Amino acid sequence: MARYAMLIDLAACVGCAACAAACVLENEVPPGHGRLWIRQRELGAFPDVTVEYRPEQCLHCERPPCVPVCPTGASHQTEDGLVLVRAERCIACAACIAACPYDARFMNPAGYVDKCTFCEHRLARGEDPACVETCPTGCRVFGDLDDPESPLHAWLAEAERVDVLRPEMGTAPKLLYLNTPSKRGLANHESEVES
Amino acid sequence: MTTFYGLPGAEAFWHWTTLVHFLLVALAGGTAFYTAVLGIRRAASARGLAWLALAFIVLDLFMLWAESPARFRFSHVWLFLSFEPASAIWWGAWGLATSALMLLLLALGLGPARFWAGVLALTSAVVLAYPGYALAANAARPLWDHLLLAFFPASGLLLALAVLVWLRPAEEAAPWLQVAALASLALAALYPVALASGGADARLAFALWLRGWGWFLLGGGLLFLAAFLARRAPALAGACALAGAFVLRSWIVEQGQHSFFVHGF
Ligand code: SF4
Ligand code: SF4
Repeated sequence: MARYAMLIDLAACVGCAACAAACVLENEVPPGHGRLWIRQRELGAFPDVTVEYRPEQCLHCERPPCVPVCPTGASHQTEDGLVLVRAERCIACAACIAACPYDARFMNPAGYVDKCTFCEHRLARGEDPACVETCPTGCRVFGDLDDPESPLHAWLAEAERVDVLRPEMGTAPKLLYLNTPSKRGLANHESEVES
Repeated sequence: MTTFYGLPGAEAFWHWTTLVHFLLVALAGGTAFYTAVLGIRRAASARGLAWLALAFIVLDLFMLWAESPARFRFSHVWLFLSFEPASAIWWGAWGLATSALMLLLLALGLGPARFWAGVLALTSAVVLAYPGYALAANAARPLWDHLLLAFFPASGLLLALAVLVWLRPAEEAAPWLQVAALASLALAALYPVALASGGADARLAFALWLRGWGWFLLGGGLLFLAAFLARRAPALAGACALAGAFVLRSWIVEQGQHSFFVHGF
């Protein structure tokens, strides 16, 4: 049993979207949809300007609101802390899309809800998720929070700050952002953008 | 400025067909509940109405299946093979199925009718309640406030009564219509207050409501007319109630689903 998590060091992310492209290829994401995308935000006003490149995807929350709302058990959390969809059970009611505070889910045209899986098929082979493997700046790391050997812990220890998206939702995300460029942390609200 | 590479899943996930379902499920649940109340009093008087409620349920279940992108994968069977008591839709599936069974027994006059009517009162109440629960459960959608737990059952019953007032002796259904219209009106009036006094998203929620206040004026006005006319001109009151409740419910479902995370607050 593991508690899988991903870290993205935003101080190093350049928003190249290589991770997003790798995800599309690896998981055959249907055109017009995304399991992973990059949000780019300009923060502050000249001469004090910051750009936040923020890759977003399913955060595999520890308390995922998308799981209890599912009427068929299709949306579930594994023992390793992955939040996954059993396509064969999904009735495409979109209750989980409604519950997700992060827009991480979409309706696959094949008739079921789809999302980032942390590349569980690759994890089963002992490989990293495709986005982690591809990232040219090496700003992503994947591992098991319960494993003291995991590089996650060194990254967390060295980080100047650690943020999660919409912490007020109480979801306890396991996608953590390190070293957010703005002193104010992640730009959660458009109104915080002062450009 | 915010730009994206790639696409967050922020499109509308419920469409006009879903709004029709929100109407049909109210007609189904409300008619079934009314049937149950009649049936508890005098079982024989509920038989005709039981067929109507059953028809609404069948129509709604068909609509639910037909509009689902999963329709030809026949995964809906899992609704009845899982135990998911935290899911509003799971409750809805069982509520509709057990109500249908009770209605069929009532309509055919089989077994202890008043007992079936008593069970139906519970199961149809579940049907009336679950749409509001399905919305209010989503903390991430600021317009889907907890007040909807009360507004959807009240306006759902109202929708059913709006139809029943045409089909039943008006003097029987009209007083009910009046009460349901007043209750729905009061809850609709409280809705913006509830939004503005909510949690962290209160300011946003109220600002969003302000964009649609005209619809609330229209819907609320129609509900007021329905209550006012209920005993004087029941057929007209029914039409007002149907239109008013449909407008308000549809606005809430439609507007509430938009992602404020992606577009910024
Ligand atoms: S591949 Fe790496 S650097 Fe490029 S956008 Fe993704 S996380 Fe950022
Ligand atoms: S869309 Fe599928 S996975 Fe999501 S809640 Fe409905 S049945 Fe569950």
